Amino acid sequence: MSQNDKPFFVGYFPIPGQLKGFLALISVGVVLLFLLAGLVIGSTQDDPGQSGFRFDYGRQTVTGVVELTPYPILRVTEGNDLIKPGKTLMLAAAGKSGVDARAAPHEGGLVQVSGIVLQRGTIDMLQLAGGQRGLSAAEGDTPEFDTEPLGRWKLAGEICDGKCLNGAMRPGRGLAHKACAALCLINEVPPVFVSSQPVEGSDFMLITGLDGGRLPDMAYDFIGQFITLEGELERRGDILVLRMDPETLEVIDG
Amino acid sequence: MSVKYTPVQWNRNKWLYDGVMLIGVVLFLYVFLFVSPEILSHEFPINPQVHNARAFGAAAFVMLTVILCIGPLARIDRRFLPLLYNRRHFGVMTTFVAITHAGFIIDWYFAFSSSNKFEALLFANTSYTQLAGFPFEVFGVFSLLTLLLLAVTSHDFWMKFLTPPVWKRLHSFIYLAYISLVAHVSFGILQDQQNHTVTVIFIGGALCVAGLHAYAAWLDLRKGDKPGTEKDGWIEVCKTSDIENGFAKIRVLPGGDRVAVFNQDGKLSAISNACAHQNGPLGEGKIIDCLVTCPWHGFQYNVTNGRSPAPFTEMVPTYNLRLSGDSIEVQTQANPPGTYVEPVPLPDAKPQEVMA
Repeated sequence: MSQNDKPFFVGYFPIPGQLKGFLALISVGVVLLFLLAGLVIGSTQDDPGQSGFRFDYGRQTVTGVVELTPYPILRVTEGNDLIKPGKTLMLAAAGKSGVDARAAPHEGGLVQVSGIVLQRGTIDMLQLAGGQRGLSAAEGDTPEFDTEPLGRWKLAGEICDGKCLNGAMRPGRGLAHKACAALCLINEVPPVFVSSQPVEGSDFMLITGLDGGRLPDMAYDFIGQFITLEGELERRGDILVLRMDPETLEVIDG
Repeated sequence: MSVKYTPVQWNRNKWLYDGVMLIGVVLFLYVFLFVSPEILSHEFPINPQVHNARAFGAAAFVMLTVILCIGPLARIDRRFLPLLYNRRHFGVMTTFVAITHAGFIIDWYFAFSSSNKFEALLFANTSYTQLAGFPFEVFGVFSLLTLLLLAVTSHDFWMKFLTPPVWKRLHSFIYLAYISLVAHVSFGILQDQQNHTVTVIFIGGALCVAGLHAYAAWLDLRKGDKPGTEKDGWIEVCKTSDIENGFAKIRVLPGGDRVAVFNQDGKLSAISNACAHQNGPLGEGKIIDCLVTCPWHGFQYNVTNGRSPAPFTEMVPTYNLRLSGDSIEVQTQANPPGTYVEPVPLPDAKPQEVMA
């Protein structure tokens, strides 16, 4: 075939007749490629799990005792139809913020809290409304609550932030979510450990330092990674608290 | 070709090109954003912001994959050359899609805290010393900044300002952007996927880009332009009967430059093979209306002096030719761009060919 017989495309001239069919085919192919790619990639995303803000429940107002683990939790004493007395709630503020500063003055005291429930399985969190509406001192007797020691455990799972895990973000865990989780934890959202196996009936537990202080800085590097660690486990109402031993943290390959 | 800079010199083919690509991208986003949630039917759906970010991120990856496949495809089969013609527009479109992806990510994952969201992007994850959990966002930032740089400098003004070789080198950063994008996806979303369909599509796309480039390079090695052997400053190009009227033979000169020897109606002329516009292969072009026409973007040159016809001002170097028996030889030393060289008549050229 002579070179002269081959079609030669020049952008500012009409498309050579010999190329029209080919280019029409390529055009349809490109459009179909994008259509199929969008459909397949879009419709094969993982289920982010059953968690989320329960705006459908409306704003919930309950009374209880503030405990600092050091992350604030509420041991509910006077609940409502949804949140029964005896329930333990983790507390957070709107956005990527905890309520440490607001809760600390009320440690061991009775408070009324109001906000939106975040729910995932057995663990609940309340995102408090701003100011006095969200958290204020309450009148009444302040009951004593037990902390039940459950001994030393070795667990496998991942560290993430309690708010995203509870559905503030879907998905709200894993390595792709690591930076977001770290930002939440830096801003005092309670950290949680997601165990690969249920422990004492729960897959999730609040995680702290071994001395009951804040999550150790070294743990931030392992957020979202599959790890094993040991620590002292305790039960506070219906929530578990794991005091992790940083020395025992190990990354699990694969 | 242009004598003054305009934002876009539209023509029918550019409208068609952009239209087809835009339809493809819009369809991708439409099915991802509005059809796939119905198919997924999650009881607690993926956050709309995350879903949007994924849609635009995945679209940017597919777009960049398609863009990088066009070059080798055009080298393997010249019928794909029209896809090269307006590729820059598709690149700019990709940049806008990538910016949208980044916008959703930053406004979701890095917002809502007491820190500036752009600062949070940099400090939230600093695990740079480990592979798992590596701050994959930095790869995305690099890719996005590179795409932005390339989009901003994509206009011919910048090519003229920077000179084509520098511009070409700068725009070859698109490969770094793609490699960085592959790392961004590999260290990010793929780490968490339980459904591996996306992984297969992603690896398939990246392998397609790598495979097509490797195959095109292999074809170039096998069938590409051959180097000539220098003797006293001249190299043999081919036999006099080897060049079809209106076309050229290309030879690689000792210094690595390429020369294109054209047969225009039985007379031989030699010019640089590199178009002054984007270094396109002039020797793979064709003489149309007495002018060598570049196969990439249609820039044209008078083959005897390497000058674009007035009022255009582009110029390429010319080369001296001579015949040695039935061999065509070219002097390895180029003449300054725009230098007229008397064409060398082919000995067996028929008079009517010469007349034509």
